[in-house]
Amino acid sequence: MLARSAEGLYWVGRHLERAEHLCRLLWLQVEALVDRPVEEIHFGWRRIYRSLRRAPPGGREEFGGGDDYTLADSYTLADDLTFEPTNPDSLWSCFASGRENARQTRHCISGEMWTSLNLAWLRIGALDIKQIWGASPETFYAETAREIDAFCGVAEATMYRDEGWRFMRLGRCIERALLTVALLRAQLDAAAEEEDEAEWTSLLRAYHALEAYHRQHGLAIASGAVLDLLVTDALLPRSLRRSLKAAAAELAAIGPGPGIRASAEATRLAEKLCALAEYEWHQRERVAAAQAREATLLRELEGHSRRLHELTTLTYFEYGIEDAPLH
Amino acid sequence: MDFDAYDLDPAIYDEAFLPDGAPRGHYRALHAAMREATPERFAAIKERINRSFAHESISFTLQEGDEAQERIIPVDCVPRILAATEWRELEAGLSQRLAALNRFLSDIYSGGRIVADGVIPADMVRGCPHYRLAMRGVEVPRGVYAAICGSDIVRTKHGYQVLEDNLRTPSGVAYMVANRKAVKAGLRRLYRRCRVREVEHYGRLLLETLTELAPHGRPDPTIVVLTPGVYNAAFYEHMFLANEIGAALVEGRDLLVNDGAVYMRSTAGLRRVDVIYRRVDDDFLDPLEFRPDSLLGVPGLMHAYKLGNVAIANAPGSGVADDKSVYAYVPDMIRYYLGEEPLLANVETYLCRRPRDLEYTLDNLANLVVKRVGESGGYGMLIGPGATPAERAEYANAVRANPADFVSQPVLALSRSPCFIDGKPAPRHVDLRPFVLQGGQTRMVPGAFCRVALREGSLVVNSSQGGGGKDVWVLADAPGEEP
Repeated sequence: MLARSAEGLYWVGRHLERAEHLCRLLWLQVEALVDRPVEEIHFGWRRIYRSLRRAPPGGREEFGGGDDYTLADSYTLADDLTFEPTNPDSLWSCFASGRENARQTRHCISGEMWTSLNLAWLRIGALDIKQIWGASPETFYAETAREIDAFCGVAEATMYRDEGWRFMRLGRCIERALLTVALLRAQLDAAAEEEDEAEWTSLLRAYHALEAYHRQHGLAIASGAVLDLLVTDALLPRSLRRSLKAAAAELAAIGPGPGIRASAEATRLAEKLCALAEYEWHQRERVAAAQAREATLLRELEGHSRRLHELTTLTYFEYGIEDAPLH
Repeated sequence: MDFDAYDLDPAIYDEAFLPDGAPRGHYRALHAAMREATPERFAAIKERINRSFAHESISFTLQEGDEAQERIIPVDCVPRILAATEWRELEAGLSQRLAALNRFLSDIYSGGRIVADGVIPADMVRGCPHYRLAMRGVEVPRGVYAAICGSDIVRTKHGYQVLEDNLRTPSGVAYMVANRKAVKAGLRRLYRRCRVREVEHYGRLLLETLTELAPHGRPDPTIVVLTPGVYNAAFYEHMFLANEIGAALVEGRDLLVNDGAVYMRSTAGLRRVDVIYRRVDDDFLDPLEFRPDSLLGVPGLMHAYKLGNVAIANAPGSGVADDKSVYAYVPDMIRYYLGEEPLLANVETYLCRRPRDLEYTLDNLANLVVKRVGESGGYGMLIGPGATPAERAEYANAVRANPADFVSQPVLALSRSPCFIDGKPAPRHVDLRPFVLQGGQTRMVPGAFCRVALREGSLVVNSSQGGGGKDVWVLADAPGEEP
């Protein structure tokens, strides 16, 4: 297929995955505003901002004490992360970019997919923070996440399984891996030295993984076990391992691309990433400083995942025409 | 709903009603259905249609300052209906016209017989801004320059007339199909009863046409739709057409020329392109040939084209034939090339390049529509009766300064068709853009994009200036009727 269309679909996958990820985090966060201690709310905001590598508006990471401050600050932060058009990571921006990429590749996706996405866009585009805050912000984030899930479901049910489908999936998987690694790194970074169960519980909930965790590990929440689940679990839909394996599978299904050198490197790197998340992660327990090793592994996973994105671009979208095969 | 307040102006042809107020034969079923229905029902249908357009974002792009906005063309839910005989008249007339226009283009880029024979002035052809020197002597596949034509047809009390031909990048066909889909869903029973002919197969006819133009008769050619990009007003249509014919939707930057052949950047490498359905202007096709400052074009494209390695539809330089001055000569072309009388009339046109026409135009500015020859889309024109004396004076100065850039025509009493406006039936002015395809044979879907001036009394139907759309129902022959 046309390289630019494939790239457009790849970015549809990436932007919408990002939008959904943010929806889930913000949903948890506005829920926490109702009944959780101030420290936990602050931790939640810190975790989101650090994972996005973005400074909160005003530039401070330390929040004023007391409930009133927390609520007022939260309103500002939620606006920044939800509707701020100059923030490229805001829900609005991710959705707008995803929809724009879909608009330009509308002939490559099913009509049902387009309509489902456009309807969601028409709804979100008509709202602002004041409206959702005045009603129920939880409902807004839940609905938006559901709309993105619905889009994915409609895609699953209606899209022809051609290259376009694969590139969209590839974008989703790479984005999912990148977001997960960034969030785990932010978690380690922002978490209290004294292990705080609530901080790790909310992380599990962001991945719909709390029940799975309890089934495997019982009621006590331990950071190491949480990380294990989110990184290596074979059944958890958003675990790092599953995201990376799915990315590798899509790459393999698409096959070698015209950027020959990048193509070979991408294949090797995808395998390496899977091995890191599947085997090497478990090996960390054998070393003395297991926690330091976790941080190192996550950094490595993040670097490699970023590289995988670059290689995808060089392999299929921005390859040099000198060596490209003629058909 | 009753038609008591429906304004029947004896000076204007009404598509649906005879002067005595009785519905025309082919409008009887619609008329009855509207009379039976409540305004609420039609309001609901109209709302549903326009909502579905918004939901699917069936849009055109309007540039407002720096911002490109997606706009939805408002659709009127009352179809315009054409009897089988009316359609046959249009079909024959438009086929004849496109045949002559293609002969004309072929002629002026080879020998220029028509100029030598004094039928049309040489400077009008060579001096036309759309004349392309680069096309001289180029052999185009099957002699077809204009493969896709969308002519604007108006009807007055004197019958159908061609207002202009669009041979460069005519648009609107996507709305024809979209309007049909939406209106059909709203008026299901009536649609079934009326035995309306289908238009949804336009994509198939387009694909057949483009395939026939493939270089060296290559079977299963790779076809692309070339768009200026997402900011173009008709981007939705470009996307729609690419989808309909299963082609890649490319921009200039996706194409390159290697060793005299055109390739597109695909995910598997460079893929040879055989046919380009271009929706960009000539100027932006090839910077080496036309406009060196263009970022949109494909360097070397014309070279590959001249070698016969790729087909471009419509061919570069086709715009000469839809020039507003050349237009005045189309009836002569039909007589000259085909030896036939034109089946469809032209609108009387005064060419300001002729001193007598200039004088007439300036003396009668208040009663004429004056157009700039190089403009389209309703831009740059003066509608005399609607303009202020100051506007007319300013325009007159522009005409005097460059008479050859202007033509004028009488203000036409465009026919009106019933619409559903503010809860009741009301007449509005309409035009009609059917699409003719020319490959190895001539193809047409029985239908058209009908534009309607939704503002009361307005004659401007352009989408960019407040016009709306209407579905066009061409009826099948009644059983027993002469085919």
